[in-house]
Amino acid sequence: MKREKDFHLSEPTWCPGCGIYGIFAALKMAAVKIDLDPEEMVVVTGIGCHGRLNNHFRAYGFHALHGRTLPLASGIKLSNPRLSVLSISGDGDAYSIGVGHFVHALRKNIDITYLVVDNRIYALTQGQTSPTSPLGYVSVSAPFGTKELPLDGAKLALASGGTFIARGFSAQPKKLAALIEKGIKHKGFSFIEVLSPCVTHNKIITAQWLKEHISHLDEDHSYDPRSKKQAWEKLIKEEKIPVGLIYVDERATYGELVLPEKDQPLVGNDLGIDEQRFERVLEEFQ
Amino acid sequence: MKKKGRQITDISVMIAGIAGDGVLFTGNILAKILKRQGWWVSTYKDFPSNIRGEPTNYTIRTSLNRIQSRSDEIDVFLAFDCGAIIDHADRMAGKGLLLCDGVGLSRYTPAQKKNRTYHTFPLRKLARDNFKSEIYKNMIALGALAYILDLDFQVIEKLISEAFLKKKGKEVVERNIRAIRLGCQQAEKIVQPEELHPLAERKDAGRLLLSGNEAVALGALAGGCRFFAAYPICPATEIWQWLAKYFPDYNGLVVQTEDELAALNMALGASYAGARAMTSTSGPGGSLMMEAFGLAGMTEIPVVVVHVQRVGPSTGIPTKTEQSDLNQWVFGSHGDFPRIVLSPGTIEECFDFTVRAFNLAEKYQCPVVLLTEQEFGQNLFTVKRFDLDKVEIDRGKLLSQEELDRMKDYRRYEFTTDGISPRALPGMKNGLHMVESNEHDIRGYRDEDPENRSRMMRKRMKKLLSAAKDSIPPKVWGEREAKTGIIGFGSTFGPIQEALAQLKEKGIGAKYLQMRTLWPFPAKKVGEFISSCDAVYIVENNYSGQLSRLIQSQLRIPARIQIKNILNYSSLAFRPREISTEIQRTL
Repeated sequence: MKREKDFHLSEPTWCPGCGIYGIFAALKMAAVKIDLDPEEMVVVTGIGCHGRLNNHFRAYGFHALHGRTLPLASGIKLSNPRLSVLSISGDGDAYSIGVGHFVHALRKNIDITYLVVDNRIYALTQGQTSPTSPLGYVSVSAPFGTKELPLDGAKLALASGGTFIARGFSAQPKKLAALIEKGIKHKGFSFIEVLSPCVTHNKIITAQWLKEHISHLDEDHSYDPRSKKQAWEKLIKEEKIPVGLIYVDERATYGELVLPEKDQPLVGNDLGIDEQRFERVLEEFQ
Repeated sequence: MKKKGRQITDISVMIAGIAGDGVLFTGNILAKILKRQGWWVSTYKDFPSNIRGEPTNYTIRTSLNRIQSRSDEIDVFLAFDCGAIIDHADRMAGKGLLLCDGVGLSRYTPAQKKNRTYHTFPLRKLARDNFKSEIYKNMIALGALAYILDLDFQVIEKLISEAFLKKKGKEVVERNIRAIRLGCQQAEKIVQPEELHPLAERKDAGRLLLSGNEAVALGALAGGCRFFAAYPICPATEIWQWLAKYFPDYNGLVVQTEDELAALNMALGASYAGARAMTSTSGPGGSLMMEAFGLAGMTEIPVVVVHVQRVGPSTGIPTKTEQSDLNQWVFGSHGDFPRIVLSPGTIEECFDFTVRAFNLAEKYQCPVVLLTEQEFGQNLFTVKRFDLDKVEIDRGKLLSQEELDRMKDYRRYEFTTDGISPRALPGMKNGLHMVESNEHDIRGYRDEDPENRSRMMRKRMKKLLSAAKDSIPPKVWGEREAKTGIIGFGSTFGPIQEALAQLKEKGIGAKYLQMRTLWPFPAKKVGEFISSCDAVYIVENNYSGQLSRLIQSQLRIPARIQIKNILNYSSLAFRPREISTEIQRTL
């Protein structure tokens, strides 16, 4: 049985009050709950404050290029399906520079868990407007207010064939841990957006503001996350931000469909090829 | 019945028409017939980058000697329409023979025709009258060529059966063979005996007929590659298509990604997790890969990128050849990092260098680029059978679980004398580490300390010192004592070899240095070659002389030695005479 300290490498140094502390805690709780082995876990992070997670969470870590966590994580998972692969991005990473990869990872349904840490700004580069900043949001990059509509990752995920769509809140790490646990166990691409306030650069979308503007799906007993219709209805109502498991579906994963041997790594095979078989391959060119 | 005629040792047949006419299909069957008859074959496609409606031509050259170049002249020209004549008749040989479907030949005066023979050959009408479908014009054309070249009907019938029996059934096979016989009979009525180009009989030597792209795919399979991710692009897609067909039998995986950014990142992920991984691309795809190319260098993850060069910049001409992406792969991406750039010049080298690319990538834990070209990427050539016995797989300092178990404190980026650190894979016990795209310390964790940064930089770059000794050296061809040198890389191999022979006929001795590794630059060997010459011609398919600039930036060349560039950026490959004439003119 693993304990949280097995996944704890060092004390983090985010700004005091940063939402990522809650995500770090939730990640450890979920890993313990599933009894994962740090040596069979790979955490791929993007560029942004969340990228420091690798410095503190004990597992195989990969701090990737800005926006490119998903193709990298997909390559890892397909190459060795035995690994538990987590990809973590910020809202800039996931919804701006890497949004193309997001849509296609959803279509492919590769069996990885994708956490998008959404603070609604670019924090590491000092607070510019991000794709989730609200309309009119004033920032150093948009001193007269943002003119673009914010992007809703959950709607995009539902439209793109997502099989696990959830939203958590960093200030509620236990609930978030339960979502991460479900996500990791889910066969297929699990997308979890985490509302995570930036205490330094975002004075509008604060923890308090979020608390007032979210609604918990698990408190609505009529809500069935297996219903795509209910999920759409929930997402297009603009009253409050739904938090919890938004949608779940079962569909064959990309790996199940394409890997010659579903659970076998491509790694570790004898790389030599049989001479007689090779000769047969050459017949085509005779 | 063997027809009498001139002794033919080398002949080029051009088939021309409009895209959609079946030029490629007809040409490919002809190439295969010639291969099966034991002749060497080299083809040259000149295709537009759309599916239908624009002029297209395909030249099938065959010889009793090994060839790997488009020819200087066309001997037999089969045109599906008169338009093609205007474009290509000038290249016809003195005693060339033209068969053309369509009216309009009468407007050519004897002066225009010189000694060549022009015949109207009503391919479409014959097809309509006899088979009620113009599609049979291709097989009628093939029949006419079979008569002119005196091809073996047994070989032809067997090939037609192979091409159609499984997919279309017996009836289609028979109709096609009838069409070929009809073409043959009609040609006999029109073509005079002295206009024939009969090929001597040879036996099938068991050679292979394949493209450079196919040879790369075979090399990847033999070299242990088991993960391939790519985005569709001309002229690299054949590599993928071939692997998609065969990889599943070898527990390999081919993934179509959303773009080239994803393709290289995904290949890197797969390689980090332990699979030998590759991507292939061309032109703009290479530009998109530059970001992840640097990531491979920084994180020391082995990966192979096959870049099949096409005409640039921008979208350029996707289906035509150029050598203008040398700068991109030798110097490209931000920051300094080690990379190896290989340049095969032959189909055998496409196979061999692909295998070696995987070994070099794993030994030196860096990206390896196989820089090929549309010219030999998409054309067909005969080669000797590939020898699997020569294939060796060397995974470098990849740790086994047993080795890792014996280590007390594993550090992924440990400083070593050669700069190469032992590599553990995720999932291994006792091997936990971090892989950082930021500058990092020996455990892989972000570290911005200037001293660490300097050491890490030296560690990574140092790997090239050993790689330089281990990579594929340049090869010298021709007369060793000659004072006239030629340097080239990639597909100029074929034309330069023939240019050497043409120069020799004119009494000019010359030698040729074939660059096979572009980076790390083989300074010693290239320097020695240049020093032994009075004049050096650098032959390249690009505008700015990228190889020439590379050489002159890496070496101090004595003033007594003249360096001249022979450049072709027309989108077509060199013909041997373009090189030999230029050397003769300026020497």
